[in-house]
Amino acid sequence: MRARPILALMMLAVLVSPRGYAARGEVYALVGGRVFPVSGPPIEKATVVIRDGLIEAVGANVTPPVGARVIDVNGLTVTPGLVDGFGGIGLPAPRPGGGGGAPPSPAANPLAPQALALDRVRLADALKARDSGITTALVIPRDGVLPGQSVLLNLGGEKLEGMVLRQPAALHLHMATLSRTYPGSLMGTVAYARQALYDAARYRDEWKAYETAARGHKRPAYDPALQAWQEVLAGKELLIVTATRENDVRRALALADEFKVRLAVADAPQAARVAELIKTRKLPLLVSVNFDPPRAPTFGRPDDEKEKQDIEEAERNPSELHKAGLSFALVSAFAPDFLAGVRKAIERGLPADAALRAVTLAPAEVLGVADRLGSLEAGKIGNVVVWSGEPLAKDTKAKMVFVDGALYEPDEKPKPSPSPGAPSPSPSPAAEDLR
Amino acid sequence: MTPLALAILSLAAAAPSPAPTRPSETIAIRGGTILTVGPQGTIANGTVLIRDGRIAAVGTDVAVPAGARVIDATGRYVIPGIIDAHSHTAIEGGVNECTNVVTAEVRIADVLDQHDVNIYRQLAGGVTAANVLHGSCNPIGGQNAVIKMRWGTGPSDLVFAGAPPGVKFALGENPKRSNFRVPGTTRYPATRMGVEVVLRDSFRRAQDYKREWEEYDRKLKAAGPKGERPLAPRRDLELDELRDILDGKVYVHAHCYRADEILMLIHLADEFGFKIRTFQHVLEGYKVASEIAKHGAGASTFADFWGYKMEAFDAIPYNAAIMASHGVNVSLNSDDDERARRLYWEAAKAVKYGGVSETEALKMVTLNPAWQLGVDKRVGSIEVGKDADIAIFSAHPFDPATRVEMTLVDGIVYFDRARDDGKATRAAGGAR
Repeated sequence: MRARPILALMMLAVLVSPRGYAARGEVYALVGGRVFPVSGPPIEKATVVIRDGLIEAVGANVTPPVGARVIDVNGLTVTPGLVDGFGGIGLPAPRPGGGGGAPPSPAANPLAPQALALDRVRLADALKARDSGITTALVIPRDGVLPGQSVLLNLGGEKLEGMVLRQPAALHLHMATLSRTYPGSLMGTVAYARQALYDAARYRDEWKAYETAARGHKRPAYDPALQAWQEVLAGKELLIVTATRENDVRRALALADEFKVRLAVADAPQAARVAELIKTRKLPLLVSVNFDPPRAPTFGRPDDEKEKQDIEEAERNPSELHKAGLSFALVSAFAPDFLAGVRKAIERGLPADAALRAVTLAPAEVLGVADRLGSLEAGKIGNVVVWSGEPLAKDTKAKMVFVDGALYEPDEKPKPSPSPGAPSPSPSPAAEDLR
Repeated sequence: MTPLALAILSLAAAAPSPAPTRPSETIAIRGGTILTVGPQGTIANGTVLIRDGRIAAVGTDVAVPAGARVIDATGRYVIPGIIDAHSHTAIEGGVNECTNVVTAEVRIADVLDQHDVNIYRQLAGGVTAANVLHGSCNPIGGQNAVIKMRWGTGPSDLVFAGAPPGVKFALGENPKRSNFRVPGTTRYPATRMGVEVVLRDSFRRAQDYKREWEEYDRKLKAAGPKGERPLAPRRDLELDELRDILDGKVYVHAHCYRADEILMLIHLADEFGFKIRTFQHVLEGYKVASEIAKHGAGASTFADFWGYKMEAFDAIPYNAAIMASHGVNVSLNSDDDERARRLYWEAAKAVKYGGVSETEALKMVTLNPAWQLGVDKRVGSIEVGKDADIAIFSAHPFDPATRVEMTLVDGIVYFDRARDDGKATRAAGGAR
């Protein structure tokens, strides 16, 4: 008898669990759409088959398998799920500027490479990004100089653990400074990073010597910050340097050369100035579409003319990089509206197909997961978006979003964005209604 | 890791960085009055021949090879490029690392900004090299960068290769934060006594550090190639510099004002067995000129700028001349992007106030600062074999109506008034 209320609760949980998470083994066939595989040219009237979380087949001559749930997407477009390769999806929003509001939460340690973005991601917030067709996100601790390590998430599922594509995904160095504490200057930041890498290398040697001959030796002290660098030093984990200025790109390269680590550069609004260098060095790029980020307060009068020039340069940066023949990812870099930024880059001359690549396959390449996602190819993860029109165009909406082969349907009607901590949107109309 | 990422890694590590330098042509600067500041003295109607970026010949009977670019300097004055021994130009993201008392690990060379339009403006003032220093916020600041004004190149191309490394020290009001209190913050030291303690403590740490590494080297040698390798001590980038100062490998450029603090630093350096390369500002240097000369330090001062804070009051415009008369190597510096454009007039003031000869005064902005930065074998005078860093003036550089017509660095024309269209200044260096 006592078990009955619990049983009732369990049943209730089943009933209210977000709709559309496919039971394992579910097969979808998206039929008749204009398909952008990204790894190849667009295919008219093609079929995409998704089975058990993976893409099974893509092509014009693909027959929907027996038992598949066939969805007619005639007149619609199909692309890989979008990837935000550098941003804050799922992290608590930064405090709004100005007075009032809640007291600030205690600031995270700005020099903590061991900090994990995964520990701070809010599942419900992260999943909201699917409404825009984003299926994969690199989530980065935003503030500080060595703010920690990012996580690469697939934005579907009911548990954070199940969403992880790579953890930790990368260790981050922001070419930023701290207020009233070291490093308070750019040269201090470079010096801090250099010393940290020397210390990490010695920490490695210290433990190696101890592990080789423990008896008769005192054990070294455990240091979480130095431990955090080890995979980077060993060349296994990516170091992503946030390079706001032209020369930050050079600084990042110099640091990577000195310590022989794998490097990618993020933000990079002035990267086009050093396009030749980036090409020669084959430097992976995560280029920001956050063209007008909040500026740090300056002493004296702000230089409005300079700021305007910087914004215009940043907006042209993607198209200039493309003209220089570079492959790069476009990333939100904490922009409030990622896709609006991508559209701005297109307005400033970036071809739409290059833009689509820059938010799908290119970030997957930079982050080392192009073998499993980023394009519509058999065997890749079932991250697929069905759009109402031309991908990335202003009025185009994501109508169906598959993440790991599970269907999610964004609401048709826009509604006020829920306050932080509010429950996820209620289930949306079923796919059948679209036919 | 994917094979692609591995490929990216290996290529990124292997490829060299491009070096965007322009080829230098053979140039003959003909017909001008050459103030060599060197053994050849002043040469009327002379020729300077430049080949491969160096000075190939100087004199009145220099044959100009066929195909050489001839620059007519008739009626003009040709002098060695001006060198600014105290500059904070072309720095990105902060001149001071103010948060710690000792920051010898930070490097100006990491944060050079090749787009700073002041590089171009200083070329227009005949400046070809500068000592870009960390600020004076802390007793031991960061590492300076000696640069050449190679406008339009990359940040690492600005660096004067081969110039000895150096570290900025600071004494007096700035490191003790007399005039810069931020409410709610304190930072040791708050007195001149405290500054001295910071210096002494730092060099004791450096001595320990040095011993630690020497001990390691001994163990390594004793172990031999087959023995168990001892674990190396922690490499501390701050102490590396201080140890190298003790070993005489790194220069000290010490910001100072008062005679007492100058003597303090000389005594402290003597105690630890290292040398101060330059005293900077050194407004009371005239009071302790013999002591500075005996220590072997140079002095880099202002011509007639003082009174801007308590420790800068007991100053006289005869400072440079008096120190020079006691055998001190004296230079006149800018410490300021604006003053840097007219250092030749600062030199002229030494003639007016101290009765210094014109040549000796000109040396205070050329050969003397070159020695202070350890590059006097390369620049600072017009001599065969030296770098072709040259400024061409419309009149004698001490003439109140003079102006710079052309400036060359490494035999490359970086400023030419006849071709200046104002673009560089308007674009503030953003465009290539």
